[in-house]
Amino acid sequence: METVPAQADLYQCSVVESRTVGAYHLIAFVAGEIAAVARPGQFVMIRQSGPALDPLLPRPMGIHDVEADLVKVLIEPVGKGTVVLTDARVGDRFSVLGPLGNGFDLSGEGPAVIVGGGVGVAPLALLAGTLAGRGRDIRCLLGFKTRVQAVAAGLFRDVDVDICTEDGTMGRKGVVSDLLAECLIGLGPAAAGVELFTCGPGAMMRAVVDAARECGADAQVSVATHMACGVGACQGCVVRVDGEYRCACNQGPVFRAGELEWR
Amino acid sequence: MAVNMESSLGPLRLRHPIINASGTFDVLAADRVLAADLFADFPFAAYVPKTVTLKPREGNPPPRLYETAAGLLNSIGLANKGIDAFIADDLPRLGRLPVPLIASIAAEETDGYGRCAGMLDGHDEVAALELNVSCPNVELDGKALGCDPDLTARATAQARAATGKFLIVKLTPNVTDILALAHAAVEAGADCLSVINTVHGMVLDPWTLKPALGHVTGGLSGPAIKPVALRAVYLISRELDVPVIGMGGATSANDVLEFMAAGATAVAVGTASFRDPLLAAPLVQELGRQMELRGIASPEQLVGRSH
Ligand SMILES: Cc1cc2nc3c(=O)[nH]c(=O)nc-3n(C[C@H](O)[C@H](O)[C@H](O)COP(=O)(O)OP(=O)(O)OC[C@H]3O[C@@H](n4cnc5c(N)ncnc54)[C@H](O)[C@@H]3O)c2cc1C
Ligand SMILES: Cc1cc2nc3c(=O)[nH]c(=O)nc-3n(C[C@H](O)[C@H](O)[C@H](O)COP(=O)(O)O)c2cc1C
Ligand code: FES
Repeated sequence: METVPAQADLYQCSVVESRTVGAYHLIAFVAGEIAAVARPGQFVMIRQSGPALDPLLPRPMGIHDVEADLVKVLIEPVGKGTVVLTDARVGDRFSVLGPLGNGFDLSGEGPAVIVGGGVGVAPLALLAGTLAGRGRDIRCLLGFKTRVQAVAAGLFRDVDVDICTEDGTMGRKGVVSDLLAECLIGLGPAAAGVELFTCGPGAMMRAVVDAARECGADAQVSVATHMACGVGACQGCVVRVDGEYRCACNQGPVFRAGELEWR
Repeated sequence: MAVNMESSLGPLRLRHPIINASGTFDVLAADRVLAADLFADFPFAAYVPKTVTLKPREGNPPPRLYETAAGLLNSIGLANKGIDAFIADDLPRLGRLPVPLIASIAAEETDGYGRCAGMLDGHDEVAALELNVSCPNVELDGKALGCDPDLTARATAQARAATGKFLIVKLTPNVTDILALAHAAVEAGADCLSVINTVHGMVLDPWTLKPALGHVTGGLSGPAIKPVALRAVYLISRELDVPVIGMGGATSANDVLEFMAAGATAVAVGTASFRDPLLAAPLVQELGRQMELRGIASPEQLVGRSH
């Protein structure tokens, strides 16, 4: 992936928007320095500012979108840390470390297929917007369990998305890897020239990687692991890459499908 | 009243009493990520890199981290590149830091402590050595030798024989009698004690009810363990005549004050760096303010106040 210059810093940021988007929560905060340089696929470590010791650590969140001096994140409340973050109100302050990680490699020029699942669609919105802005031919395939999650697809501005839900309550009924299989078959031999970008649950990304391998396409995968520091200090966030452990925070979170080993 | 924050730790001159805890701040990695120029303006008063062992260790399977109530459970498993690569790749760069370097070493066999210490003894970049005796030991079926006073003494004596550098032994709290360990280490030649390493613990995933860490159990750090650490620092510093580096949950200036009043000459910050990798600078400032408020003019006047 692209190496990013040393530019992360810790900022105290005011929350200017905090609203529910179906099952998720969209938060925008003022972080002009981050917004100015953020690349698709990078992330931030965020927590509520202040001395409270529980939750203790910031949580990694993909940069969902940037707009002028605002950075936006899309959060699924799954546990202690994310519940506290989604409770944020306008005017609250976040402690934000970023931007972190190497983003997606945007140097390709061929057609791109973006495949997201669940809250994994969060960082793909900025990616889709950026690729579309560069005139690249893109398709977005987004899969969710049910409608209340799938409304997040509305956050993809200026790009067409194909949606599926497992229960058929919005878009096609099925899983996103089925949409991908159809898309690749439809492309015929041209599928080998496609570049796939994916973020979502492990099983979903694995299916995407398998489909890519079958048709000879390249794929970039954004992984989510438990993180403490976000800056390569704790060695806690490792994934297996080319036969060794590598930190997802500073050597990812985006990896080439071919180098990632799945457990 | 002007507070002078300069401190000394044995022969090491420190700009202030706050250093980092091994394994929680990686200046070489951070320098590649953070905008701050860490080599020009290093926030801690000394730098302790992650523990290195004779051979590289790949560490434990993920997940390696889980947050608990005001704490962090980790099972990193001493993942490190090995002492040869540390000497070849890292030492030359770490030598450029404007603060003393305290190398942390561990070994899977007791003999290894002497060998690691000997390998670093000739390197002027290294101001002091810290023995991490919490490494899984092959002679003890993977138990840490630091749980056994005799083996701790043996490892310390081996390192003592191999180096003239300031020698710190880092004690584990996972024993019935931490004072016995402290005595064993000092009698075997330790110049200083680091107190404490992480506390054994475990978490279950609340949904699957299976262990949340890949290694099943791990080490607990952060504010949750501060009272455990404070007691150990207090007991040890009251009874032994060597300087103590206090650590375990220090996050605020008041925590640092308490560790020093309990008897710590310097305080190491670990898990709190994950909240803010650059917290040392504001922490030192606030420490000075809090000392001033209490009429304490220097770290010396603070150390052991609670005794
Ligand atoms: C680079 C990166 C980008 C991310 N981007 C987003 C995002 O844009 N939106 C979003 O909602 N989430 C994102 N995540 C995941 C998010 O960080 C976790 O859901 C969060 O840390 C969980 O914290 P918690 O205290 O709420 O949950 P906990 O109480 O710690 O755990 C609740 C459950 O979530 C699981 N879990 C904990 N941490 C993670 C993790 N890092 N990844 C996956 N599962 C985890 C636990 O195993 C447990 O089952 C991202 C993670 C990474 C590493
Ligand atoms: C992620 C992590 C990695 C650690 N790695 C090491 C290590 O390599 N060597 C060591 O001596 N201690 C290690 N420790 C222990 C810390 O240095 C420190 O003793 C302990 O965490 C208590 O301090 P704290 O509560 O301020 O973190 C590690 C702690 C954490 C949280
Ligand atoms: S999160 Fe600490 S090394 Fe990656």
